[in-house]
Amino acid sequence: MMAVLLALVPRENRSIFRFGSIVATLGSLLLAIYVFDKFDDRLDEARGEVTFIEAAPLETQYGYVFTQRSNWIESLGVSFHVGVDGIGVVMVLMAALVSFAAACCAREIQTREKEFYILLLLMSGGILGAFMSIDLFLMYFLHELALIPTFIMIGVWGRGKDKGFAAYKITIYLSIGALLTLAGLIMVYLQFNTFSLVEILHATTFEDAIDHSLQHFIFGLLFLGLGILVGLWPFHTWAPLGYGAAPTATAMMHAGVIKKFGLFMLIKFALPVLHEGAQIWLPILACLCLGNILYCGLVAMRQKNLNLIIGNSSVAHMGFVFLGIASATLIGLTGAVMVMVAHGLLAGLAFGLSGYLHHQTRTLDMDKVQGLLTGMPFWGTLMIMALMAGCGLPGFANFAGEITVFFGAWKSYPIITGIAVWSALVIGAVYMLRTIRTLLHGIKGHDTPETEDIAKWQRLPYALLITVLLLFGFYPRLIADKINQSEATFKQAASAQSEKSR
Amino acid sequence: MSKETVIRFLPLVILLAPLFSAVIIMVFTHRFRRLSSGLSIGTVALSFAASVFLFVSLNTDPGGSTNYFNWLSIGHTSQNATFLNTLDFDFSLQNDPLSRLMLLVVTLIGTLVHVFSLVYMREDGGYSRYFGALSFFMFSMLGIVLSANLVMMFIFWELVGVSSYLLISHWFEKPKAADAGKKAFITNRIGDVGFLIGILFIWATLGTVNIEAFTFEIDKLDEIGSEEWTSVATIAGLLIFCGAIGKSAQFPLHVWLPDAMEGPTPVSALIHAATMVAAGVYMICRVFALFTPEALEIIAWTGAITALLAAIIAVQQDDIKKILAYSTLSQLGYMVMAVGCAGPAASMFHLTTHAAFKALLFLGAGAVIYACHHEQNIWRLGNLKNKMGWTSRTFIIGALALAGFPFLSGFYSKDAILMQAYDHRMPLFIIGIFVAFLTAFYMTRCIVVTFLGKTRSDHAKEAEEVPGEMITPLVILAVLSIGLGWDFLGLSGFTEGYSQWKINAVDNATAHYAAMIGSTIAVAIGLIAGWKIYRNADQDPLPKMLMGADVLIRKGFKFDEFYAFLNKWTQEKLSYAADWFDRWAIAGFGVKGTSGAVDITGCLLRQLQTGNIQTYVLLTVIGLLLILTLILF
Repeated sequence: MMAVLLALVPRENRSIFRFGSIVATLGSLLLAIYVFDKFDDRLDEARGEVTFIEAAPLETQYGYVFTQRSNWIESLGVSFHVGVDGIGVVMVLMAALVSFAAACCAREIQTREKEFYILLLLMSGGILGAFMSIDLFLMYFLHELALIPTFIMIGVWGRGKDKGFAAYKITIYLSIGALLTLAGLIMVYLQFNTFSLVEILHATTFEDAIDHSLQHFIFGLLFLGLGILVGLWPFHTWAPLGYGAAPTATAMMHAGVIKKFGLFMLIKFALPVLHEGAQIWLPILACLCLGNILYCGLVAMRQKNLNLIIGNSSVAHMGFVFLGIASATLIGLTGAVMVMVAHGLLAGLAFGLSGYLHHQTRTLDMDKVQGLLTGMPFWGTLMIMALMAGCGLPGFANFAGEITVFFGAWKSYPIITGIAVWSALVIGAVYMLRTIRTLLHGIKGHDTPETEDIAKWQRLPYALLITVLLLFGFYPRLIADKINQSEATFKQAASAQSEKSR
Repeated sequence: MSKETVIRFLPLVILLAPLFSAVIIMVFTHRFRRLSSGLSIGTVALSFAASVFLFVSLNTDPGGSTNYFNWLSIGHTSQNATFLNTLDFDFSLQNDPLSRLMLLVVTLIGTLVHVFSLVYMREDGGYSRYFGALSFFMFSMLGIVLSANLVMMFIFWELVGVSSYLLISHWFEKPKAADAGKKAFITNRIGDVGFLIGILFIWATLGTVNIEAFTFEIDKLDEIGSEEWTSVATIAGLLIFCGAIGKSAQFPLHVWLPDAMEGPTPVSALIHAATMVAAGVYMICRVFALFTPEALEIIAWTGAITALLAAIIAVQQDDIKKILAYSTLSQLGYMVMAVGCAGPAASMFHLTTHAAFKALLFLGAGAVIYACHHEQNIWRLGNLKNKMGWTSRTFIIGALALAGFPFLSGFYSKDAILMQAYDHRMPLFIIGIFVAFLTAFYMTRCIVVTFLGKTRSDHAKEAEEVPGEMITPLVILAVLSIGLGWDFLGLSGFTEGYSQWKINAVDNATAHYAAMIGSTIAVAIGLIAGWKIYRNADQDPLPKMLMGADVLIRKGFKFDEFYAFLNKWTQEKLSYAADWFDRWAIAGFGVKGTSGAVDITGCLLRQLQTGNIQTYVLLTVIGLLLILTLILF
């Protein structure tokens, strides 16, 4: 994939660095759109070449196109093997969009720009690569590549007095998560002696490919590790704190894109490969996801800092994805991916907007910043739209994803789904509207600093994100159909559920 | 183009025209006031014209639902389509007599309110924003009317909620308006939880969310007496009804509607009297087949309690808009009660007439407020009949129609409902008659104090008749309020003749006479009592007679306080606890615990690094032995 190369290569000189990184991310965005557009054609072509789907190469069987392969570390069987499938293609599009927006929104960085933009591009390239990897080791490696800049960026360019603590905390949590994941990954590797996802998937199509008790253990490891990476309750406390301290672009990238990696790996790797081991863990996941949805929603209700509200709500939204995964049905998993895409765009938008405000006011404390809508109509309108999208208003992609998750999870977990519906509709509305009420509505506060609305040309990234959110919300088939192309993966994942009910 | 094609695509035009206007206003024309308002009025008029055409062509074309495109489908690309379940939501529009009647109501009132707003909102800074939101509301409301499946309906349902939020808090700098919008949205959301879970229930047991399809399915299941369905039917129906409780502001979620009066008055006329709040009633009529007898019983009582409660509260309100708001609540209760008494046709009939006279009353109140510099307290108005002739005349017609004065439209539709109640549930009939008395009483109070009597403030003294753009809608609505109920229009049993409701029309002469005589007597008593008490009053004499109960009534039986209390002690406390837990237990203990563990491990490891070579050698040997043991055994 060209996008990886393009995003990884740039090392322009200092003066045009900002411009260069915008161009680089724009380039990968255009390529991502191209891939998104051509995905169906390529897949049909690849499938059309063979008479039986079983006779096709494994990549095609699992819906991968645009594949490329070259050996990397031969002794371990690691290869640079990339391509996109239905889940990957929507994630790549989302990641490229948010990267572009993040590069545009990084104006607040005034010191050591060169390093900042290099790290930003490293993040963007790394995570794009991770979403495209077929080789598990490569996937893991590229994710780490994207993750580590997060810590550095919070530590160096972060805001607030406890940025050091935030950086320290996020590093500990996420490193432990990544370590557990690596352990799980190696254990799977030892079973098959290959890192190729499609080969492992193929090998585990049949039952009892791996011993059951071992499966239970490995899935547990991965579940815990990936759960920590995403902020599964009760391992979520790094998230709001970290996002509160992170510079705008970092928060956008991490909350929007990098955090989705854990979910991505659960859906694409852990669940389908270890479908027998997952059975005992899924009900636990379903209960824990309530911790995210309900508990973090309740916590968000009491926050006074805008970034903490967005951060907590972003953790709460991960709960819907977990619910979709826990249901392990085709509908639930598709919905989960839809929420991932929608939330990525939304988190990018929301943190971008709050970052814009912070750049002006130097505070996000809602006791000090009030009644902004009159002075900043464009910013305010977008903020209202973002918050509305956050409480699941139809018309935004989030609603389409969430409702799909509900339909998917209803049969397995009616009570949990019921509570999730309550939190999505009511608790979400309470804290989002409370935010609108204090931050935007009402009369401008006494202590509120003077603010300016977003200047004309700077509106582009925000407008882009909201347009795509609306587009996918009005016509969710645009992404749902693509995601459904990964049906073979889902089917294998879904066997975790069907066996349980049997 | 053949007529069939036209009819097939007209609903799409009706629906999308206001959306087009809303988008254009938001993106391009929000700086140009005249252009925005013109666009908004143009599109709503187009929708109205198309609705009239559809309504008129009913004789030749009974209509049905049309499927335009697939909105979301999961599992159909599968080559192996049987595996697991599939999800399939179409964007399809319902184009039957029920929706055509509702279309006509919505677009007609919508058009008149748009015209009225032209002048009413003239001074407002957010003129374009107002018309944009109004167009967006029309789009969402028409969406509810036209939806052929429950998921689509839920989507538009939510959009109506948000457009109502935007319009209530149109004057967002006013804290009260901003709070009212928030309250309306959240209260609606509580009802919607039930609605969505109900949809999930129906989908899981009946396998479809398409209204026609599951109606058919239910008939089939009823015939074979399916256990699976009967066990959940009542609960599923009641969950769906929850949606209507929220949107139609039924007890116990009625608290948002009076507060919603903070919005501009034309908005109150359109949304909080004629259309949005009627959406709940329309919805339960649409899915009527879903309700079991037990569910209907609960629905009927909910309606009756709302009707009674709101009518009592309305007696002690001083704000002209609040009086109308509580009277709206009460009439909505009537409609819901009618559905519960197996009379969706009567309910739709009352919905139609009510839309006309209540919109008239609200617009009339708007004219009064406009003329009297935003004075809304009726005790500071008075004697407006000499200054605002047209407004007073039309308002009085509206009030009489609402009270059910013989031969005005409200009289017929109220009778239809009372007849249903008489035939099905006697206690409800008595409540209905009592509510009719209360209605006549408080409307007389409102008219006498506002338009007759003495002038009680400077604002009222300076009042002048409003301009023609405002009078015209009032006159049109007044004509409709008089005539809509007359038999030759055939509206009373209109929907009954067409729809698939499997019910027998009430054909009972006793019920007919009981309803007519009972309500006429009640109305007469109410009118006379109101006239006697308030004819010469300068302040309300009623509180003295009520001996203290008036405070309770005035405050709407303190529901707001009760909910605030409930919320404070449940959700707020939970949230407080969660926040505390998050700060101290997880973040504090968890992280400190982790770092503590790291410290301890560090200490232990330090012990190992003694710098003593012999120790290292010893450890190496132990390690080797361990590895060997593991490999060998």
